[in-house]
Amino acid sequence: MDMSVIEEPEGLTHVVLDGRFDIAGAQAVDGPFTALAAKAKFLVVDLGKVSFIASLGVRTLMVGAKAVNRRGDYIAVCGADPNVEKVLRSTGFDEIVGLYPDFDSAASALKGRAASFASRGG
Amino acid sequence: MTGALHRASSREFAGTIEAAEDAEAWLVSQSGRLGLAENTRFAINLCLEELFLNAVQHGRANRATVSLWTEADGVRVEFVDDGRAFDPTVVHSKRISGPSEDFTIGGYGTGLVQKFSKRMSYRRTEGRNCLLLEFGADSGATAG
Repeated sequence: MDMSVIEEPEGLTHVVLDGRFDIAGAQAVDGPFTALAAKAKFLVVDLGKVSFIASLGVRTLMVGAKAVNRRGDYIAVCGADPNVEKVLRSTGFDEIVGLYPDFDSAASALKGRAASFASRGG
Repeated sequence: MTGALHRASSREFAGTIEAAEDAEAWLVSQSGRLGLAENTRFAINLCLEELFLNAVQHGRANRATVSLWTEADGVRVEFVDDGRAFDPTVVHSKRISGPSEDFTIGGYGTGLVQKFSKRMSYRRTEGRNCLLLEFGADSGATAG
């Protein structure tokens, strides 16, 4: 599995995962993904090129999400195909991280949440 | 699931994490001949990966045998391993619970097997775990 990072405007980090998020895939990206999640303010995880995911892949995403949420930063997932999305929803992952059809809608949702939080004096 | 069963294929794998990849490659090689729909292949692949992980990491299995049967309305997969006794049919399906910054991570594999298979049955015989999984003809995201 490959992982590429695109630094978008307005502090958005767009990480694109590509391949099978199985045991080997999770082992390949676990370190770099966790390191990225340790510092990103607005993180959009693009699963549009992920053809398969199993529990170890979900675990990698959960570890990153937990770190981001603990800091009060923002994370979203986009582009998951129906089977990948079903795996995520089966574990309850969607209850802690929003799932969006594409990067633009995910980025917009994160910015909206941040603006809403700021307007409440957070 | 009704109708005559036809054993289509069977293969033994080493009790290693890497064997899950061998099982995936084998499944792909059998998919065309068995006429497996993409969703069904995804579901079987997911279940095999989780079963290998459980059998090797937790059950200390040395060998695992996977058999595939097809019939008109679906597929059966039998997973037999020589690890410690473990009945996944009685395990409570686990989901994330707790606050978004402090939830427990891990233990979701068996729940995925339960969710992505149509039916499961388990027996322990001659020191082996024998798990039979049933899948519909299109057992993926559209199967609920």
